[in-house]
Amino acid sequence: MHLSTNTIIIGAVVILVLARLAWRLMHRGRPAEGKPRVRRPTKHRWLRSVTSLTVASTKMYFRNRSAVFFTLFLPLAFIGIFGLLSKSSTPAMKLDVTNHSSAELSKNVVSALKQVGAFNITETSESSAREQLSKGKIDLQVIIPADFGSINAKTHQFETSNIITHYNAANPGTGQTANLILGQILAKFNDSVTRTPQIINLQSSGVKTNNLGEIDFLLPGILGMTIMQLGIFSVAFAFVSMKTTGMLRRIQATPTHPVNFVLAQAITRLLIGILDVVMLVGLGVWIFGFHMVGNFAEFMLFGVIGTIVFLAFGFAVAGYAKDENSAAPIANLLSFPMLLLSGVFFPADGFPSWLKDVTSHFPLTYLVDALRSIANLGTPITQLTGDLVGLLVWGVVMFFVAVRLFRWE
Amino acid sequence: MAEALLEIKNLRKSYGDFEAVKGVSFSVKKGEVFGILGPNGAGKTTTLEMIEGMRPITSGTAVIDGLDVAKQPYAVKERIGIQLQASAFFPNLSLVELLDLFNDLYAESSDPMQLLKEVELAEKARSMVKDLSGGQKQRFSIATTLVNKPVAIFLDEPTTGLDPQARRNLWDLVAQIKKKGTTVILTTHYMEEAQVLCDRIAIMDQGKIIAEGTPTALINQLLGRGFKPKRTVAPATLEDVFIDLTGKALRD
Repeated sequence: MHLSTNTIIIGAVVILVLARLAWRLMHRGRPAEGKPRVRRPTKHRWLRSVTSLTVASTKMYFRNRSAVFFTLFLPLAFIGIFGLLSKSSTPAMKLDVTNHSSAELSKNVVSALKQVGAFNITETSESSAREQLSKGKIDLQVIIPADFGSINAKTHQFETSNIITHYNAANPGTGQTANLILGQILAKFNDSVTRTPQIINLQSSGVKTNNLGEIDFLLPGILGMTIMQLGIFSVAFAFVSMKTTGMLRRIQATPTHPVNFVLAQAITRLLIGILDVVMLVGLGVWIFGFHMVGNFAEFMLFGVIGTIVFLAFGFAVAGYAKDENSAAPIANLLSFPMLLLSGVFFPADGFPSWLKDVTSHFPLTYLVDALRSIANLGTPITQLTGDLVGLLVWGVVMFFVAVRLFRWE
Repeated sequence: MAEALLEIKNLRKSYGDFEAVKGVSFSVKKGEVFGILGPNGAGKTTTLEMIEGMRPITSGTAVIDGLDVAKQPYAVKERIGIQLQASAFFPNLSLVELLDLFNDLYAESSDPMQLLKEVELAEKARSMVKDLSGGQKQRFSIATTLVNKPVAIFLDEPTTGLDPQARRNLWDLVAQIKKKGTTVILTTHYMEEAQVLCDRIAIMDQGKIIAEGTPTALINQLLGRGFKPKRTVAPATLEDVFIDLTGKALRD
């Protein structure tokens, strides 16, 4: 967590430049009067139609203030507010550690924990820690059992042992993050203590940093939420309004196939989705100390797939709804449960298992899980096939639903 | 006689049991202004949209410039210009940007400024459609139909809701378009408009054409049947008074 004055100034300048660019895009009319655009006749009529429709819908998008606000500015504001809040009010995660073991290894673990900048470690008794936890004074209680670090008389190696943690249920986000960091530190210990891989029961592959904070939990969640809103709302409303005002019919009066128009709408949203990923991750890393541990290309891939899946949702709503009044409730009905239950702002760990069984199959859950795993833990895409398949199944199903429900008028 | 550009034979449209258009036949010659008149719900718009390839034809044929609309709707749309009754355009795009877009949709390269000059909207080139007056919107809508240099344009109630000045201005525009050799097929509620603009008209009621001919011929037929106006028509109308008092200048 390092926020120097320089980074703030540079960040502010970048935001101003971006805002200026966006403003120019939003500004009406063409920049230069005079010479008409000269266009060579092309054989690729289809390509020309789709390109032109895409350019037009991108211009419309950037000139539509509420669309820009909800899909570009609001997520930034979210990150900004949460990023600043998590820095100023919770400088460190509070951990109470009770060490029942007298082994050298346990002392090393405790001192390693004390060196983690994000941790505020207090050594205390188990009962006092429990009391502190129940009062919400600490984020995580760590208990090192008496047999920790003991050596097996026969093999002369360390016995496998469990460290027990309890986190504050009222503030699970921080507790979870602390747990994650703890897990990584222990994994390193496992690595250093023994070379026999059987005893390593926590994965540490590709982990470059162990300083995960609140922003690392929130940013992928907010990005997932933004992608969902982008797909469902921005498509549903733009498309339905074009349907009700007759703009769609005007396009149908030209030799362009209306599917080209749908395609252009989708391409525009995909571009905005990519812009969202770049912008949030870029500013997150730059200004708020977000950690992109894993492969950014894989992170982006999930962002793009997520956008496509939620576009299918959006087109299903847009195609089915007759007007804005019927589109709004359907779009809300689809997105609201996901917003609350897919682990965007807080983890789903506290839910009863029957509810978890349902929410773990939400498309937003798959998306946010994958984004978080890649960014926080550096999980390679090959280990995220569950999320990938989940998203793709949703995408295919919603595509067919959209085609089935679609009405041009 | 000029050759027929548009040949409609026994065109029908049914929605379930309801027959909106009950066998309409007519032809339009090249360079003509042809008007379809009739009360609301007579089937004017449905007929027009079937001819334009915007609505599936239940039975009958429509041939434009030698192309069967039902078989080659896209080829037909390349050759005609369509103004729909509810004309809406993408929001947040300027007139020039919209015309550029239409250029691309037709794979054409008309000069947007030239088109805007033709409809007297050159100074509004950077405006949005939502900032135009009713008459300007209709004129812009007509400009979009001219992008592909069409053989015929279809105008569905182009003057409905316009004030007398704007309506007269649009008549001038239609006359100009006709002068350039473009065939115009339009629908209207206004008899005066039909009389001024149309070379020939068809009157529709309840899905059928009940009369067809030149305005003068139809009037003569009526008089021939012994029709007497309820009262003698004054040599001027109230609209003449209105135009005389408020002037011909456009108010938008």
